[in-house]
Amino acid sequence: MTHMTTDIQLNLEDADGFYEQLLDAHLDLSDKESALLNAKLILVMANAIGNSAALARCLAAAKA
Amino acid sequence: MSNNNSNYTNPAYSNGYEFSGGAGYELPTYPFVTPPELLGAPPTTYPVVIVGGGMSGLTLAAGLAQLGVPAVMLDEDNTVGVKGASSRGICYTQKSLEVFDKLGIFERIKAKGVEWHIGRTFAGNDEVYNFNLRDRADFKLSSQPPFINIQQFYIEGYLVERIAQLGVVDMRWQSRVSACTSNGDSVNLQIDTPEGNYQLNAAYVVDCTGTGTPFHKWCNMPVSSIKRDDRWCIADVRFKVQPPTERHTWIEAPFNDNRAVWQHLMADEVWRIDYQMRPDDDPAYVSREDVLRERLAKQFGAQAECDIVWVGPYSYRSQLVERMNAERVFFMGDTAKVVSPFGARGGNTGISDADNLAWKIAAVHHNRAPAALLNSYHQERHEAASVNVQVTARTTRYLRPNDGAERLFRDATIALAKQHSFARALVNTGRMAEANPYTRSGCCTYNHPLVGRSVQNVAFTWCNGQAAHLNDLLRWASGNLLLLWFGDLSTTSAGKLQNTARVSGVHMVQVVGKVQQTSAVEAVHDATGALAAACGAQQWALIRPDSYLAATGQTANAQLIKAIATALALP
Repeated sequence: MTHMTTDIQLNLEDADGFYEQLLDAHLDLSDKESALLNAKLILVMANAIGNSAALARCLAAAKA
Repeated sequence: MSNNNSNYTNPAYSNGYEFSGGAGYELPTYPFVTPPELLGAPPTTYPVVIVGGGMSGLTLAAGLAQLGVPAVMLDEDNTVGVKGASSRGICYTQKSLEVFDKLGIFERIKAKGVEWHIGRTFAGNDEVYNFNLRDRADFKLSSQPPFINIQQFYIEGYLVERIAQLGVVDMRWQSRVSACTSNGDSVNLQIDTPEGNYQLNAAYVVDCTGTGTPFHKWCNMPVSSIKRDDRWCIADVRFKVQPPTERHTWIEAPFNDNRAVWQHLMADEVWRIDYQMRPDDDPAYVSREDVLRERLAKQFGAQAECDIVWVGPYSYRSQLVERMNAERVFFMGDTAKVVSPFGARGGNTGISDADNLAWKIAAVHHNRAPAALLNSYHQERHEAASVNVQVTARTTRYLRPNDGAERLFRDATIALAKQHSFARALVNTGRMAEANPYTRSGCCTYNHPLVGRSVQNVAFTWCNGQAAHLNDLLRWASGNLLLLWFGDLSTTSAGKLQNTARVSGVHMVQVVGKVQQTSAVEAVHDATGALAAACGAQQWALIRPDSYLAATGQTANAQLIKAIATALALP
């Protein structure tokens, strides 16, 4: 995490695999349930990242 | 100077409480005593005039009295608390209790108040998490407990009695300030009383009148303010059968239409129950006794009998002055900042404002420090106020989320917190007030991470083996800096240090691990090493009268002398 954009570079071990898992997790969910799942997922992932500067960069990248 | 055409009118209260019902308390009343100015005495310039005898004003008055500063305290009312609103603050933190210990009223607070350790947080019918403060190591160093719950007016009453006992500060009741003008080297106040009006001059004025103070306007002090739409109804009740002595917090209470509820115990077995209301609820309706009783029955069951001590609606705003002083007028407590009640960051930080300014005014008054020392009050307490405004605003946002994403994320935190401990850190029902650190004070020498932080009231023993606490040393230093020297000290160094200390009024104590020959005049035993650890485990520590660590270091050299000068703002 030394460079400003390190955590926005490709880091996923299996991009297609993760994307498939993400979509599968939302199968059969209503919009409301889906939104809650996403919110929970963001918080779990934020905790996994932990580092405040990295989280700020993630937020900025998503917002841009 | 005086005239007998009194235009004194009874005070109007607007402290967030609009009106109240319930049996309430009989509050003590204090007599109006005709001041010398109304008996024809020539006008005097007092060193300090404190305006407002609430929590911060009284704490300051007691602090100044203890340090021998003949201040005048003015209060527009003739009692403590607010008439009709018998209870305001209820939760006093360890830091505040340490201040009250220093001022000599802690034992009374402890005897009257309630200590609690267990807190439970609920959402719906589920307990999200609980905590036991006894498990928290960071509270154990102090001789005071983590918190005591007690009605604010009790502490205020103890302070009034203590100030009267000390006999240095003149408390003037039913005395309202109606005008304030600055004359460069003093401040002129116009006072209205039931017996007439008079003027007095003060070298310094400390405004402790609280929210809605007229001083902001008189001093052209910019204030930033955010009004919230969060509405609460506070009920102080006494049950026939006591609930458990635990703090219970519902983020979403099924018995309050899934809005928040707080439940905690105060003195006299009176429970404070806070109900979050809808923003558009009618304050008069929600505070009606029959409506409250219906709400209580939903929470505690229809058979739970209780007396209603006090009930009233509550709303809050967030407010911060641009500076903690306008030249000779200082802002303190709610006058400086107003925060939401979550985390008890209002009253407790007002007490710390008072503890911060008292010793500085005393040092300037007794010519031990230049007036420049008073600038650090703004540097230190404005930083604290800003942090407290930010911390409470975050809690407010959690407890009263906007519809949409804010509520969605709160739902997510609650769902996660029930399963995963990490998510409990996101559940924000209030972050308890703490001794705010000062990270950019001109009076601290930042050479150690503990500098600018409050040293807890740790225990040690006198040379004769008797138990003592840091506050005993601070009282002995009577408003001077306290220099602790840990471990061995050569006779030559001891002599040099004592000379340095004498020049600047610093009180020096040698702290030794076990009974041994000591070179300093004053020595104490720190067998457990707790005192040394609390001060950063260096060779020396410079502690201010407000318990904050001003500097620390390894050798008795020019750095120590410079640190003393910095702490007192000496040129």
